[in-house]
Amino acid sequence: MLTDPPGAFFPQLRTAMLTRTIWVGIVALLALLPAPAVGHAADPLVDVAQKANKKLVKLFGAGGFSRLNNYATGIIVSPQGHIITVASQILDTPDLVVHLYDGTRLQAQVLVTERELDIALLKVKSPGKKFEDPLDEPLEYFDFLAAAKRPPAEVGDWVIALSNTFEIALRDEPLSVQRGVIAAYTKMAGRRGVFEFPYTGDVYIVDAITNNPGAAGGALLNRKGELIGIIGRELKNTLSETWMNYAIPVTGKAEVVQRVLLKDMNGNIVKDKDGKEVYEEKTVTVTMAQFVELGMQGKYKPIEGKTTIGGIGGYHGILFVPNILERTPAYIEDVVPGSPADKAGLRPDDLVSFIDGEPVISINAFHDYIKKRTRAGTVIRLEVRRGEVLETVELTLEAHPATSPSAPAPAPPKQ
Amino acid sequence: MMRVLIRLWHHTTRLVPVVFLLGCGVIVPLAPAAPLDVDRAVIDEQNQRIATIQKVHPAIVAVCMQGGQGVGSGVLIDPEGYALTNFHVVQPTGPLMQAGLADGVLYDAVVCGIDKVGDVALIKLLPKEKGKPFPYVKLGDSDKVRAGDWSLAMGNPFSLAMDFTPTVTYGIVSGVNRYQPPEGKGLLEYTDCIQIETSINPGNSGGPLFNMDGELIGINGRGSFEKRGRVNSGVGYAISINQIKNFLGHLYGGIDSDHATLGAAIGTANEDAPLTQMVVKQILDESDAYRRGLREGDQLLEFAGRRVNSTNEYKNILGIFPKEWRLPLTIRRGTTTSEMLVRLMGHQAQVIERKEPVPGQPPPPPQPIPKGPRPSGEAAKMYEARKGFSNWYFNVIEQKKLLDKFRKHGDFTELVGTWTLEGQYEQTDRKGPMKIVLTEGPDGTKVAMKLNIETTLEPLRQTDLRLQQEPIGSGGLMMAFYHYRRFLTLGAKGFEGLFAYGGYAPFYPFPRDGSEPKSLAALRVDCDTMITKHGSVECRWYFARTDATLLGFETYVAKDADNLDDRDPCEVYFHDYKDVGGRKLPHTIDVRFGNKRYATLTVTNYNLAK
Repeated sequence: MLTDPPGAFFPQLRTAMLTRTIWVGIVALLALLPAPAVGHAADPLVDVAQKANKKLVKLFGAGGFSRLNNYATGIIVSPQGHIITVASQILDTPDLVVHLYDGTRLQAQVLVTERELDIALLKVKSPGKKFEDPLDEPLEYFDFLAAAKRPPAEVGDWVIALSNTFEIALRDEPLSVQRGVIAAYTKMAGRRGVFEFPYTGDVYIVDAITNNPGAAGGALLNRKGELIGIIGRELKNTLSETWMNYAIPVTGKAEVVQRVLLKDMNGNIVKDKDGKEVYEEKTVTVTMAQFVELGMQGKYKPIEGKTTIGGIGGYHGILFVPNILERTPAYIEDVVPGSPADKAGLRPDDLVSFIDGEPVISINAFHDYIKKRTRAGTVIRLEVRRGEVLETVELTLEAHPATSPSAPAPAPPKQ
Repeated sequence: MMRVLIRLWHHTTRLVPVVFLLGCGVIVPLAPAAPLDVDRAVIDEQNQRIATIQKVHPAIVAVCMQGGQGVGSGVLIDPEGYALTNFHVVQPTGPLMQAGLADGVLYDAVVCGIDKVGDVALIKLLPKEKGKPFPYVKLGDSDKVRAGDWSLAMGNPFSLAMDFTPTVTYGIVSGVNRYQPPEGKGLLEYTDCIQIETSINPGNSGGPLFNMDGELIGINGRGSFEKRGRVNSGVGYAISINQIKNFLGHLYGGIDSDHATLGAAIGTANEDAPLTQMVVKQILDESDAYRRGLREGDQLLEFAGRRVNSTNEYKNILGIFPKEWRLPLTIRRGTTTSEMLVRLMGHQAQVIERKEPVPGQPPPPPQPIPKGPRPSGEAAKMYEARKGFSNWYFNVIEQKKLLDKFRKHGDFTELVGTWTLEGQYEQTDRKGPMKIVLTEGPDGTKVAMKLNIETTLEPLRQTDLRLQQEPIGSGGLMMAFYHYRRFLTLGAKGFEGLFAYGGYAPFYPFPRDGSEPKSLAALRVDCDTMITKHGSVECRWYFARTDATLLGFETYVAKDADNLDDRDPCEVYFHDYKDVGGRKLPHTIDVRFGNKRYATLTVTNYNLAK
């Protein structure tokens, strides 16, 4: 076990023993005797855990079916009840609830999320009050900005993890405590397609099994109990089939390449000689500290996806079934003859299930993807369910024909 | 294959810090002999840890089937060879098994008591040389364990060690007072348990969890294994040793013990409220809690001395006690707060009846022994099946231990003549002289009692419940004295229905001056108990754990009476023990029934004829 301050005296004592007489050494040794209360009895882990537990919450939201958990953990970052957590599906509900360390149950609301950091900022309110109102009683919190100014923890450092892993704790029951060592400080390479993971910055990899159901949004602390990271999702490395145990550092940042319309000094869109808009690539850096600071002021603007192109996307020629539900499955009603869809051999009754490896949960989601991620010339890979088999087809999108209804409008219902 | 992968993975990640430290060390050239520049405190801590492991090492048990195939772990808790393990470990072995110790020797072993709901079993190892003591560990206090404390888990995961050398893992306690719902059919419920990150895997079941002083704080039994297959996922659970201590008497006594219910459904008043309030949602008429005055809508404040703020907390408190224990309950109704003593009801009966056959319930009819050498004759002789007991053989042993201690206060076996007790009685509204005459023999068995008026009872002939319960309002004080005399003079021979050791239980002697106590909880005295049945009457006898003084007993004249109020026992409390002819006898006898004191008897003269 590596211990903190008391041990700092020992090297001096040892030097004394080496350089002076044995007699002096014995005196030094005697002086040492009361000190070794440093042992496990005085171990600070218990205190660290108890203090941190007051600054963390149990979070309950959407899910609870088909292996999607409806629980997670959150970190209080302001006395007024701002909370950060991982941007997971549990936030996708108006009925978000937190349990404070003392068992108090409060309603919560998502203020803003940043996909590139995989993080969300929440706010709680006192019963009978509005979210804008101050809380009846201020909460204990982690000073996130101060934490972000500290140098990152190093590989080999001891860490303590607190989270509501496996939803073991409810109401006033304390969160679960684990300890471990930072095994690596690194980017999780090859994440897209290997990890379903949007964050591109450095992460702490820990040797403890921290990332279990419900642990996302938990705190990674150093031995002093200072916040150093936010425990991430459950991610499986599909190459090695191992679960990753990682946390996003409070110093975390992501560099995002954005394709944006080129504008002149007056803010007018620049067009080339053919009259088409011109895009430029711009690298934007977004940090956790910015997110938390601006987010709490209500000024944070999430970065749009780096592959966002804008516009209406490429033309595919698929006509879907009437889009009457929020989540109408992407069944193909028909394809426009001669369109990319026709050329790729798509047929009526095919169900579009994946686009470029991402699940297509609805017609809207399909249109959204086409609009944000494609343009004429983009090659997309679709997996479609045809009867009982999954077929893979590739479409080279084209420019929208002048006559076609402006995508992404849904196809009109057939007679 | 999977196991290997995971172990390798752990290995690599664990190596990183070491590599890092070594990397730092390279800056200063080190002579090969020079020790690494490590903090003295680190070395001390490490040496202390190793010393602790070495101290407890010999007492770790590998529980095996007949023939030596490993099924789990255990730990010796006394020199006679008694060891704790999980119930689910001895489930496949049946009552006879083998157990390997760190010395590499495989011992024959036999099941004593079990606790199916709590997933605990006590087994006894047979020494190779008669009377040779076993190494054992000290029981700790799991209420003192806190999240963040260091802990050691030991046992035989994956049955790795063919020579039974225990594996040790080291980690911190992740949480205390955890609740884990029953796994399958109401059994294996983990209440008030200790959550650990200390790695436990299949095969660790039943093994010990130690604090860093080498005291036993729990029995490892379960993990949240769902996600990563059947291996550790950072979350393991140990049954707290303080729960096991409540059942230890039952376990030593070979009892098939049961946990309890209050007979009432307790829930959150309003799930959406900012703060929880626990209230009685429903209550069974036949529960003791109802007769003590608990009603629907009452708010539960404290139970067994602990505050109740959530459903998990309530279940945690309830789950650590054996059925029929009496525990204090504090409630609020409107603006008044009151305390009551409630007897817990068993609940295994209902659970068990629903499913059949009972899976592997020891003692099943002796199972066919799979393979390997048959148990030595001696182990087989130490197993005796009886309904309600996992091994009756050990109950007889515990009876003898207790009664031998009890008999030091006086031997009454020769005093089979007429007993006469004279003195005064005192009731709320009256007092006066008291005389009790107990006769038993060929001329007739009779109790005559004169308090205010004279009543008589022929306990063997009287079948009318009303008359059996006389004097009116006592719940059957004459019947109680009849059984008291039988217990003292005849012992086991006097109770054809049942004469058994009943494990530990709390007893609450009321103040001898008859005043109402300020706190019922404060009255508690920990006792050893005996249970007797004779005819339709059941008695529970409470002996101080310290010196086996009989502090009192309860007489259930009609435990299953149709009229629910008749189900309460006549409670007799003995105070003021004084010497009478070389025997200790109580000179103040407090009698209670239901929620009231019936009378206090002061005995000035005992005449016990031979």
